[in-house]
Amino acid sequence: MARIRVLSPVGAVNTASFSAPPLPTDLAGRVVGFIDNNKANFDRLVDDIGALLTKQYGVKRVLHRKKANAATPAPAEVLAELAKECDVVFAGSAD
Amino acid sequence: MQDLSPSIEIDDAPEAVLAAFVERDWCDGLPIVPPTEERVRAMLGREDPHQSLGPMPPLWRQATLEKLSVNAVMAGCEPAYFPVIVASVEAMLDPAFNLYGVQATTHPVAPLLVVNGPYARRIGLHAGSGCFGPGFRANATIGRAIRLILMNVGGAWPGRHDMATQGSPAKFSYAIAENEAQNPWGPLHDGDVVTVFGGEAPHNVNDHVSTAAAGILHTVADTSVSLGSNVGWFLSQSQLLIAFGPEHAVTIHADGFSRADVQRFIFEHARLPLRTLKLGGMWGIHDWPRWMAAVTDEDALLPQVPSPDDVFVVVAGGPGKHSVVVPNCTFSRAVSRPIPRITG
Repeated sequence: MARIRVLSPVGAVNTASFSAPPLPTDLAGRVVGFIDNNKANFDRLVDDIGALLTKQYGVKRVLHRKKANAATPAPAEVLAELAKECDVVFAGSAD
Repeated sequence: MQDLSPSIEIDDAPEAVLAAFVERDWCDGLPIVPPTEERVRAMLGREDPHQSLGPMPPLWRQATLEKLSVNAVMAGCEPAYFPVIVASVEAMLDPAFNLYGVQATTHPVAPLLVVNGPYARRIGLHAGSGCFGPGFRANATIGRAIRLILMNVGGAWPGRHDMATQGSPAKFSYAIAENEAQNPWGPLHDGDVVTVFGGEAPHNVNDHVSTAAAGILHTVADTSVSLGSNVGWFLSQSQLLIAFGPEHAVTIHADGFSRADVQRFIFEHARLPLRTLKLGGMWGIHDWPRWMAAVTDEDALLPQVPSPDDVFVVVAGGPGKHSVVVPNCTFSRAVSRPIPRITG
């Protein structure tokens, strides 16, 4: 059987990589943020998890911010606020 | 001559080539033309293989002209098709198109390419009978190249980054030329231009009986909206594309309707009452302007696109009393780009 060389169709990532800081091992006294993708019931989930984090893990404050809708990115001002205020942020993807 | 990507060596037999590409998740399941360096260089022509049009979501891999060429070869494109593919990718990477959302959503959206201008005719992009397929190499392979690029460069594999619940036949290939010769209102765009529209597969509009504009347009408007459609829920980004069959277009035009009249009629009539919208769909997670959210009259008929300009009117197809509606995915705006790299 003859052989043939073919090129890979798969793209490559060449953007600079970065290292995210390690997650804190203890949430006590920390500020936790949630980005709500605005699909059904995620707001309830945030309320419940936020209460649990506050009560059982000593979280100082919970920030709950919504996107306009599920299919578009969070506004820059929301990302800036969460980056400034929070120690940990959860990107919510209810569906 | 600049170096191209790393390559692999495989048996030179159609079955072996297909098996190798399927095994690596490098193709759509159909046979491909092997992307040898010689073929890829022929597709590229004088273009710089390392020039990138930008990172493509969802995995943000670089859309280099070389990678577009590799996928275009695989799809079965002729090198003359390549400028259309480049312009289409440029359009899809415009933030207004929201390619991240289009790629990753559970909705069965696919970018529809509508190509205007003489170049489309020159390369055989079909605008007449059966233009959505099958049967026409330029349509089939340009559309397929776009899909392969979205999978291999963007990284949207079904069930893994492309989270479409059921997918769509339109995701295999979705490209037409506009039937400019039979468009009484003139083309969507003058000159060689490609428009990408994040749409569902075409919805048939059958009107065999109307002899005036109103009947056909009522049928179009009725087909344009339904509770299960995505269009309308995120109103600011909702759009409709209507591809009139030439016979419907002639009848509407003969009734004195301008393009603006057609857009206005559909805008005014492609509506659903509030009571219907409350039954399901995306009620409760919709994103409407304040004035619509304030409506309480259950019988109020609410628009599904934000303005008449968000109804795109094109003519496509051949003889027959059919048109199609292409609703968009409600989170992407159509984008047009000139086809700049035409040579020869």
